[in-house]
Amino acid sequence: MPMYQVKPVCGGDIQIDLPTCMYKLPNIHAQQEHSCTSEHALQNGEVDPAVKALEARQDEIMRKLYELKAAVEGLAKTVTTPDADLDLTVSSSLSPQSSSSTAFKGTADLDTLLGKDLGALRDIVINANPEHPPLTLLVLHSLLCQRYRVLSTVHVHSSVTSVPPQLMSCLGPRHVDSYARHLFQLGFTLIWKNVPTLQMKFSIQNMCPIEGEANVARFLFKLLTPYPSDPAVATLVDSWVDTAFFQLAEGSTKERAAVLRSLNSALGRNPWLAGPEFSLADIACFCCVQCSGSASSAPANVQRWLKSCENLGHFSPAKLLLQ
Amino acid sequence: MTLRTYVNTNVLLIQNYSDYSCPVANNYADNKIRIINCLCVCVCVCVCEADRVLVKVQDLTPDKADQLIWLRARVHTSRAKGKQCFLVLRQQQFNVQALVAVGDRASKQMVKFAANINKESIVDVEAVVRKVEQKIESCSQQDVELHMERIFVISQAEPRLPLQLEDAVRPDGEGEEEGRATVNQDTKLDNRVIDLRTTTSQAVFRLQSGVCQLFRDTLINKGFVEIQTPKIISAASEGGANVFTVSYFKTSAYLAQSPQLYKQMCICADFDKVFCVGPVFRAEDSNTHRHLTEFVGLDIEMAFNYHYHEVIDSITDTMVQIFKGLRDNFQTEIQTVNKQYPSEPFKFLEPTLRLEYTEGVAMLREAGVEMGDEDDLRFRAPNPGTVNSSSKYDTDFYVLDKYPLAVRPFYTMPDPNNPKYSNSYDMFMRGEEILSGAQRIHDAQLLTERAQHHQIDLEKIKAYIDSFRYGAPPHGGGGGRSVDCLTEPTSFQVWRGRMLVPGSAQRPPDLHVPT
Repeated sequence: MPMYQVKPVCGGDIQIDLPTCMYKLPNIHAQQEHSCTSEHALQNGEVDPAVKALEARQDEIMRKLYELKAAVEGLAKTVTTPDADLDLTVSSSLSPQSSSSTAFKGTADLDTLLGKDLGALRDIVINANPEHPPLTLLVLHSLLCQRYRVLSTVHVHSSVTSVPPQLMSCLGPRHVDSYARHLFQLGFTLIWKNVPTLQMKFSIQNMCPIEGEANVARFLFKLLTPYPSDPAVATLVDSWVDTAFFQLAEGSTKERAAVLRSLNSALGRNPWLAGPEFSLADIACFCCVQCSGSASSAPANVQRWLKSCENLGHFSPAKLLLQ
Repeated sequence: MTLRTYVNTNVLLIQNYSDYSCPVANNYADNKIRIINCLCVCVCVCVCEADRVLVKVQDLTPDKADQLIWLRARVHTSRAKGKQCFLVLRQQQFNVQALVAVGDRASKQMVKFAANINKESIVDVEAVVRKVEQKIESCSQQDVELHMERIFVISQAEPRLPLQLEDAVRPDGEGEEEGRATVNQDTKLDNRVIDLRTTTSQAVFRLQSGVCQLFRDTLINKGFVEIQTPKIISAASEGGANVFTVSYFKTSAYLAQSPQLYKQMCICADFDKVFCVGPVFRAEDSNTHRHLTEFVGLDIEMAFNYHYHEVIDSITDTMVQIFKGLRDNFQTEIQTVNKQYPSEPFKFLEPTLRLEYTEGVAMLREAGVEMGDEDDLRFRAPNPGTVNSSSKYDTDFYVLDKYPLAVRPFYTMPDPNNPKYSNSYDMFMRGEEILSGAQRIHDAQLLTERAQHHQIDLEKIKAYIDSFRYGAPPHGGGGGRSVDCLTEPTSFQVWRGRMLVPGSAQRPPDLHVPT
């Protein structure tokens, strides 16, 4: 028996029309048949002008792309093969302004050049034979002293019995603070030793010894000022340095005469050997000319240049030793 | 009284004591005279041949050819070959070949006698010096040999020797390679008398004598005064641990560990520059290759004017003069030692290389050794300095300056610029420390403070502190061991062999003379 009776909410039977399709769309095909003639023309294979324009633009762009690609490839080829004209034009835009002063500009930070200071004095040890005193290095030493605080010491190794007194004092008088090594930025230790070629040792762990006065001179010079960034000038400096040490100092009289002639012609064009600036080439050639004793017989330009070098004042230690 | 004799014109006969013209010989009966195979020798050796000139083996050179000479030497080896007998006669470092052959000058019995002489016996030989065409490589006198006419035994050795001299001189490596014997340390020390006869030992102790002599000469030329300090003292100077105690009447006293305190007293007493060479006693119960209980110490102390580097310069200059003196005057001895203990020639710089302690630490760190700023270098790396100084500066001798204050004794002057460091230094030869020194504190007040800081009983060192109260000049100095100065130039690694009769924690020196 039911609990309670409720009147029926709605009537008995309502007829509902259930749809047979979800939604209606207009017939595409039917519409086109009724549309305008332009679309009809497309149906027939004729091209719409807008599309034509689009296609034309696309073709144009593709063509330009291909042209660009060809140009880039052509440029790549020219860049990888050495082309003198290209290099000069590139480098001339990069070369710094030249200055005509003879002081050394350019920062040379010791930490970046020589490596981090671990607490030990950065000591440059040079082993030289007392029979061939390295004048270039003495000149560079005096230049280094002007720039940094340098602790200079001279020792005589036990392989040499005795050394004349001017070689013992060639680095100048003892510094007042020389008892406190840690106060100095750089050490310059010259040891007179019986070695066949001049030798420099700096960092035993990281560097092998450097041999030859020319190479040590290059090392020391780079502590003062970086090499000229123009590779042509840098090569010129290097070539003069090598000429000085190989042909001027050690060569026969003929070779020396030839070098003096080329010095003369080079100095006719520029005040200094490597252009408008004083450089390592001038130091090396001056010392070797003085050493070989051909200073008095040198041609006019060379004489003039020798005088200007002396006037600079850097060469006094070398002159002292030569006397 | 006649003895049994052997009749042969070439052998000395002692038919009668009276022949010998020895006043004492007549008093000796048989038991005092040894008869060795019929060749008689008087034990008291008072042959009255006062005008006989004995030539030294080192003087046997070709310019003495064909001379008849007498010499006295030891028999190093004797070898019979049929009708000949070859002897090698040795005198200290020099030896020469001698031969006797059966002929009109010698009989078969004489040759047999010569072959049977025990090694190390001392003999008198009369012989003719002859030049040889082919050099005798095994002897020091290579150009001559002796043709013996007469031979006497002055003092006979026992037939069995505890060690053979050729074995004692052989370098260690060579012995193992060729299967020949070498003599080890303990045997050598047990038979020191024979071991010291070797050419190497002779050279070593001559070098030692040279070192002390050069040390004295150089310092006296610099104006130093030599002093002798007491060795039996009332208080231990360097700290109580390593000191020998002796009974002193009713109390006890100590054997001096170093002449430090007395050197300083002399400076305060206005001697200005002093040095002393004398024994030093350290009771170190360690067995490293460096430890000896007694050794000869070379100590220097001097007053300076303005900076303690004057002291360092003076000491290093002395050391360089010693090296030069050894190099120039003792080459023969150095070469002799090098035959048994090969080494490179010693290299040094003049003026001496001086590096700072911080630089040494930085060099070690660069080489990969880890250490703190104040650690003692010596215990951190076996050869701290050789890491860099010998390769970069090519020197075997250098000074390391400014040691940390913490590792130095209480009387060391601290560095005025940095209280963690001190004005002290060590000198190294081939990486081994040979001399330790410093500027001393000359102010009584500061000295008292430092002593208290090190927790030293002030009562014990009262006399020491008092010596600075009445005006003391600033001074410094250093002390080292003569054996170390010797070792490094010749690289004579055998540590205990450097002392004549060495003592260590394991065995005291035992060559005592019976009273």
